[in-house]
Amino acid sequence: MTLRQSSLHEVHLALDAKMTEFGGWEMPLSYPSGTIREHLACRSDAVVFDVSHLGTVRLEGTGSFDLLQRTFTNDLSRIVPGQAQYTHLLDADTAGVVDDIIVWWIDEERFDVMPNASNTVRVREAIGGEDVTSGRAILAVQGPEARRRVATVLPEVASVPHFGVRRVDFEGHECIIAGTGYTGEDGFECAVPSEVAAHFFELVLSTGVIAAGLGARDTLRLEACLPLHSHELGPDITPLQAGLGWVVSWTKDDFRGRQALLSEREEGPSRRLRALLSSSRRPPHPNDAVFVGDLAQGCVTSGNYSPLLERGIALAFVPSEVEIGDIVTIETRGSLTEATVVRPPFHRLHLP
Amino acid sequence: MVSDGGVRYDAAMTIPENLRYTSYHEWARLGENGIAIGITDFAQEALGDVVFVDLPTIGSVLNVGDKLGEVESTKSVSEVYAPITGTVIAINEALGSAPETINTDPYGEGWFCVIEPTDEDGFAALLDAAAYTELTDH
Repeated sequence: MTLRQSSLHEVHLALDAKMTEFGGWEMPLSYPSGTIREHLACRSDAVVFDVSHLGTVRLEGTGSFDLLQRTFTNDLSRIVPGQAQYTHLLDADTAGVVDDIIVWWIDEERFDVMPNASNTVRVREAIGGEDVTSGRAILAVQGPEARRRVATVLPEVASVPHFGVRRVDFEGHECIIAGTGYTGEDGFECAVPSEVAAHFFELVLSTGVIAAGLGARDTLRLEACLPLHSHELGPDITPLQAGLGWVVSWTKDDFRGRQALLSEREEGPSRRLRALLSSSRRPPHPNDAVFVGDLAQGCVTSGNYSPLLERGIALAFVPSEVEIGDIVTIETRGSLTEATVVRPPFHRLHLP
Repeated sequence: MVSDGGVRYDAAMTIPENLRYTSYHEWARLGENGIAIGITDFAQEALGDVVFVDLPTIGSVLNVGDKLGEVESTKSVSEVYAPITGTVIAINEALGSAPETINTDPYGEGWFCVIEPTDEDGFAALLDAAAYTELTDH
């Protein structure tokens, strides 16, 4: 299979990036600075990721609002044009999460719907729209210093508010900037037409923001306890099990999967996603068993090393009775490690 | 030893002349008190930032190819295998809290353990630098 490439592919190679396959795309895994430094730079300063592999489905015209409102779980009437919203597309019969999505509401009758790379087809089956993925790059600038640094060259971009969406002119081309991200830090994501993407990227780098790859993106989102589709979310996992009840609006009219989700809402989910802080550096792995007492009663969905806490961390499904503060045991490649159930996110924990 | 998940590597790896190697990307250095073992520059580069090592126990008796331990990065786990038959007589405990030394100094401070060989033939049978260079050129 031929892998799709971002319009910044040549720039990544020139920066000596290590490339990897992700969702059918060939994307940077890390740059020579390495995943750990890229991760820590995002927590203390600012980094930029190429996330062009995310899909963009553009929906325009009268009826767009109503279509999204009756298809996705969140309530679009909570926001207005010029804002973004995180939402889910559910399976109508099982209420499993077909995809988790960010909707950028650009104009009254214009929406950019951003699915995960490999779910773009499924989302288009549900809402139609035009797949405009290939015409643009998406750059995510993230970190506490992201705005201050980028403001020196692109002040309009840097001033887009948290979860705001703005159209900004860059060298005669329309870019769409959203105050969104996937790291637990402040920042923004920029949809930039392919022909000017390299220049935009280089301009951001010139402000001292360092390039970061998908390796750091994954450790950052895990520390921030943000779900990754096919790990914490998927066709066999409901939003309630994933602890994302806030993404589901029960006050709006019917939406896809509502009926199927109602019974679980009434009975309460049998399992819950929890954040586990290991007592050692050893990274837990997806599918590692989680023991509560002597019984294997849970399963890790994502695990890795936390560069910030210098410990293994995991998200795991465990029985609903398991509470914050409980001690569990994770079995990783035959070795048992104690872990504490902690209050998410990991990157805001204060360890003694 | 590296499962690379389709990652592309750049060349220019360091391969010291005075060491012996395995096709699993371990190096071995003959010393007075035994044979020091580590993973090569190629291996650490392929792994990326090392965040955890699982070292063998001193006194373990191992045959060639037995699992010696694990080296893990933020993206993958690699097993380290015994390049020779013998007994583990020393381990690099400093790697426990500073595993990144494997990235910064794979042939020096990033050593993994020392094995006292059962016989002298095992070391001589390992790849020399030229043979290992050829292996990594593919």
